[in-house]
Amino acid sequence: MKRLVNIVKNEILKIFYKKRMHVITAILFIVIILFAYGEHYTLSKAQERAAVQFEIENEEEWKNILELQLADLERRLDSAYIPDRGKASIRVRVEQIKFYIDYDVNPISSSVARFMGRLIEQSIFLFLPLLIILLAADMVSGEMTFGTIKLILTRPVKRWRIIMGKLLALSMLEMVVISMIALLSYLIASMVFSYSGFNEPVVTGFRVLENQLDTSAVRTIPQWQYLLMVYAIAYFVAFVIGSLSLMVSVMVQSTSASIGIMMSTLIGGSFLSLFISEWKITRYFFTTNLNLTAYLTGDFQIVEGLSMSFSILVLLGWSIGAIIIAFIFFTQKDILS
Amino acid sequence: MEIILSVKNVSKTIRGKQIINDISFNVKEGQIYGFLGPNGAGKTMTIRMIVGLMYPTSGSIEIGGYDIRKSFVKAISQVGCIIENPEFYEYFSGFDNLELLRKMEPHDLKLGINEIVEWVGLSKRIHDKVSTYSLGMKQRLGIAQALMKKPKLLILDEPTNGLDPAGIIEFRNLVQMLSKERGMTIFISSHQLSEIQMICDEVAIVLHGKMIQNSKVQALSQGHKIIWHVDDVPKARKILREKFDIESFKDSQDSLYANIDDDYIERINRELLFSDIAVKFVYKKQKSLEDLFMELTGGETIG
Repeated sequence: MKRLVNIVKNEILKIFYKKRMHVITAILFIVIILFAYGEHYTLSKAQERAAVQFEIENEEEWKNILELQLADLERRLDSAYIPDRGKASIRVRVEQIKFYIDYDVNPISSSVARFMGRLIEQSIFLFLPLLIILLAADMVSGEMTFGTIKLILTRPVKRWRIIMGKLLALSMLEMVVISMIALLSYLIASMVFSYSGFNEPVVTGFRVLENQLDTSAVRTIPQWQYLLMVYAIAYFVAFVIGSLSLMVSVMVQSTSASIGIMMSTLIGGSFLSLFISEWKITRYFFTTNLNLTAYLTGDFQIVEGLSMSFSILVLLGWSIGAIIIAFIFFTQKDILS
Repeated sequence: MEIILSVKNVSKTIRGKQIINDISFNVKEGQIYGFLGPNGAGKTMTIRMIVGLMYPTSGSIEIGGYDIRKSFVKAISQVGCIIENPEFYEYFSGFDNLELLRKMEPHDLKLGINEIVEWVGLSKRIHDKVSTYSLGMKQRLGIAQALMKKPKLLILDEPTNGLDPAGIIEFRNLVQMLSKERGMTIFISSHQLSEIQMICDEVAIVLHGKMIQNSKVQALSQGHKIIWHVDDVPKARKILREKFDIESFKDSQDSLYANIDDDYIERINRELLFSDIAVKFVYKKQKSLEDLFMELTGGETIG
């Protein structure tokens, strides 16, 4: 046990000394700054447009418009012509508008919390996986390329422990990457957006019933709770991609090959989601299931049989399969390098 | 003497191609054992199987009585090795490399890293990154890494590759010292015959993945050869063959040699003179492993 801990420590040290984390942090820093600028710019444009549309001249008038909207929605809630199923979504809308009024928040503006959520939602299916590939792809293949695999495999440690150590180290570093995203986006967003908004209500609870988006179960949760959920989901996605990268890393001889294979699979595989409604087999591919946060926001293509739990199961299957293959391959492999 | 390394009928087939064919030998405790063969004969692959980096297709390997596959940890605990080039994590210092490897050992090693580093003479540079090391320094670090756990059996794969003559002499002294003072068993592969001949007690010769000879170095190089420097080598060889039934070999442009007893020499010399062949020198030379290798392999080039 103590030795497994040591092996995990060694693996983490290797990644840090390779400056891999530095590279990832630098990439994150640049991307988040750009994203924050883009978000800020788009929103100020939207505010201008809305101001023209509603003929608003000063900030105070926002509240009046919201109050009008609120009154309208409340009337509709009382109406006998609106089916019960539709009322749930009106109710959450009412709740949100009340929040904006009570806390004096312009709904067309971003908050730190909203930005942090948006960032993960936008990066979970491509950007985050790319970072994880960068982290994991050379964990084994790099040691093959540089011949250091011979050093560690001639120690009195069984091979499965070594690959286990690598997997555990990777899982921890994925956690670090996710935390870095959270931390950096928090810091940068705090400088750009004045409103923190961690208590703002977020709508969630969308479901698909009979091929339709069902909003009868929607409800609001505070932003911070929503953020915890999306970051946990992001960690899960990172873990899945990490295990797949580790598997590829075990199977090929060079780092460039393993990064290349993973990147092309990820990007090529994401095209498959175009066919997801007709071509059933594509929904069992991991890339078509990465966008898990979309299930929370109701922002997804409605396809029979696809749901959050389905996607999680598919990803779990890929991840377990990859880990098993990585272990078998690594313990049986002839080291030729 | 106890057998510390036993290789039994080991074969290895990769993608349908047999690379190692039924190799067997035993290394006894305290020996310096040479594993000799030209490049590509299968030396490194055999060593990789001994240290568990590759798995034999058939046959078994035991180190100190433990099977390398079935009891890997117990078997490998007794081995220190350098396989091919000494490769390290270039982004770590030499010290961190050793520390990283030490942490993979089951119990804290009694020999401190500092002591071993001093012993191999790397103290000054040990905290520099390995990427700044010369080949010689990496080799020292390789030795430190292999000796760190005080192994019973030290396995060195082509250890003198890339060393300058001074380095080779230093290495030879090191091996002899480890053997004599620490009683270490040492297994060395090489394609350089002179190297093996100088330091090894026993030698196994491999060619094209097969063992062709396995015996004591002294026994192998016993006997001697007689060399003639003459003006007409083909004619001299013809005389030896026809008149004495002796097979001779061309040594150089103007010399030939034969493995014969001293008794013949006078008669042969007389015969050569009668045949109008000018004999410049005749001398006796101890047979080297190189000659033996030539005889065994039919002139296969080495190195």
